Amino acid sequence: MIELRNLTKRYGDTVAVDDLSFTIAPGRVTGFLGPNGAGKSTTMRMILGLDAPSSGEVSVNGRAYGKLPAPMHEIGALLDPKAIHGGRTAYNHLRWIAEAGGFPRARIDAVLDLVGLTDVAGRKAGGFSLGMSQRLGIATALLGDPRILLFDEPVNGLDPEGIRWIRSLLQQLAAEGRTIFVSSHLMSEMEETADHIVVIGRGRLIADTSIAEFTQRSSSSHVRVVSPRAVELAPLLERAGATVTVGDGALIVTGMEAAAIGRLAAQQQIEVHELSTRRASLEAAFMELTQDSLDYQGGTPDATVAETARALAGTGTLS
Amino acid sequence: MTSETMTNTAALTSSATVRATTFINTLTSEWVKLTTLRSTFVTLGAGVVLSIVMTAVVALAVGSTWDSWSLEQQTQFAPVLMTMSGNVVLLIASAVFGALAVSSEYSNGMIRLTLTATPRRGQVLLAKLLLVSSTTLVLGVITTVGMFLVGRAVLESYGIPIAGLGDTDVQRLVIGLGVATPLFPVFGVALGIILRSTAGAITAAMGLLWLPQVFGELLPSGPQKVLSLAPQFGADSLTVAHFAESPLYSDPATGALIVVVWLVAFVGGAYVVLQRRDA
Repeated sequence: MIELRNLTKRYGDTVAVDDLSFTIAPGRVTGFLGPNGAGKSTTMRMILGLDAPSSGEVSVNGRAYGKLPAPMHEIGALLDPKAIHGGRTAYNHLRWIAEAGGFPRARIDAVLDLVGLTDVAGRKAGGFSLGMSQRLGIATALLGDPRILLFDEPVNGLDPEGIRWIRSLLQQLAAEGRTIFVSSHLMSEMEETADHIVVIGRGRLIADTSIAEFTQRSSSSHVRVVSPRAVELAPLLERAGATVTVGDGALIVTGMEAAAIGRLAAQQQIEVHELSTRRASLEAAFMELTQDSLDYQGGTPDATVAETARALAGTGTLS
Repeated sequence: MTSETMTNTAALTSSATVRATTFINTLTSEWVKLTTLRSTFVTLGAGVVLSIVMTAVVALAVGSTWDSWSLEQQTQFAPVLMTMSGNVVLLIASAVFGALAVSSEYSNGMIRLTLTATPRRGQVLLAKLLLVSSTTLVLGVITTVGMFLVGRAVLESYGIPIAGLGDTDVQRLVIGLGVATPLFPVFGVALGIILRSTAGAITAAMGLLWLPQVFGELLPSGPQKVLSLAPQFGADSLTVAHFAESPLYSDPATGALIVVVWLVAFVGGAYVVLQRRDA
């Protein structure tokens, strides 16, 4: 369990993290979302005792990180996968960390095996690709067999195969009952993996909600139907319980699945040219969600929320 | 991948070891860091070998030209001091080693991993200082004794008289310079933490080592008194002063005090910076 209470970090006049309070509950995957520069990495560094908060506090299992008797056994972290000495082999890199935590050599072999780096363990880490470095970073985080894992943008810069690998690993680690706190600047990355999301923008808390609630909103979808006999089809659909509106030369149907619409049209031998499910955009769902939490949060400027929503929903979906 | 990886993660969980980390863990970890980098062996190896080679070359130069020296030159010549000619190479190499032991972690960002593994930052500093100073102390003594033996052998082969290691003055010089070797590596460690840059730390350590020496030769005796407070002259007051007189040297007690003050200032400064600054 990680608890943040009024956590604030200022650099001169700039407020990087602004009065953040939330709890990372044990045994689930919490996605930590925010656009680049929102303060995610700063928050993570404060959790790990690397940066001192300007005010407020953060605790890991009830203690400040620096007061944990065996820190790497309680929480493992991946911050910057390239922050390693390129002249050291992957094995020796893990070795100094294992020694620092007092972990046996067998742990090194075990984590190397888990991340699939056993064959290249004797190679210098400086020659590793970003994907291999990410795997080494994850191996580092897992060395102490911690119950809490903290990953900062673990899929950044990875190819689709690497992304799939990290996702399934996160799910496995979560299935073992570990607490996982994983940051991302893209909402779409979290939809499949996270149970809960914490969203920040410009250092401030924007949303702290379950993924179920979020996806429920974002799946408020409709089906677009184009048919030369739309005039006949619309009343049939309405009689079957759907809500039908007309827009853009098509029927916009809600409350009925595409399959059911197609079946109905086929029964009546009505020709259909287009039958497609449209999900509400992530951005729209996000806005809807955050507008609600705005009342609760009381006063995060709309502009920040909108900007955060656009950034998170925006560029390149990876799912 | 699922079934295979599932087995693996399950195995990890079962091999959990829970115990509080200790200073011995930090010390072992820092030792592994030092001994798994080629730069450690290259820097220190070059320092040891080149120091002895340099002494040998100077001794050969002296020996081969000895017969053409005037009687005055021959009587003024201090053969024991000459055998320590290569010491400067050892000083440079060991200072670079000390600086690199810290600054390389800052330049690649690995320091965050170090401080996550060992959040008690004072322990990290202490471990680095202990390992850097003990390593350079052992290698320093080996090198100064090596320089003396090689230099003496060369001079003797030319028939130039020189005292042996049984002489207490020789012991004080040779062993003393060896024991003093960790001084600049410790400054290197401190400067690495304070400046967080390899180039900066090495440059600053070299400046601290060289500038007083350069200006010491040039300045009149008034400013020389100020320069006698430089760390190298403080150390030399203990190890070299009995062989060579200079206004730059103090009495041994003052020399020791100068060295201690410099050490406390640098190590204390590094400790405060390391504790307070965000990593």
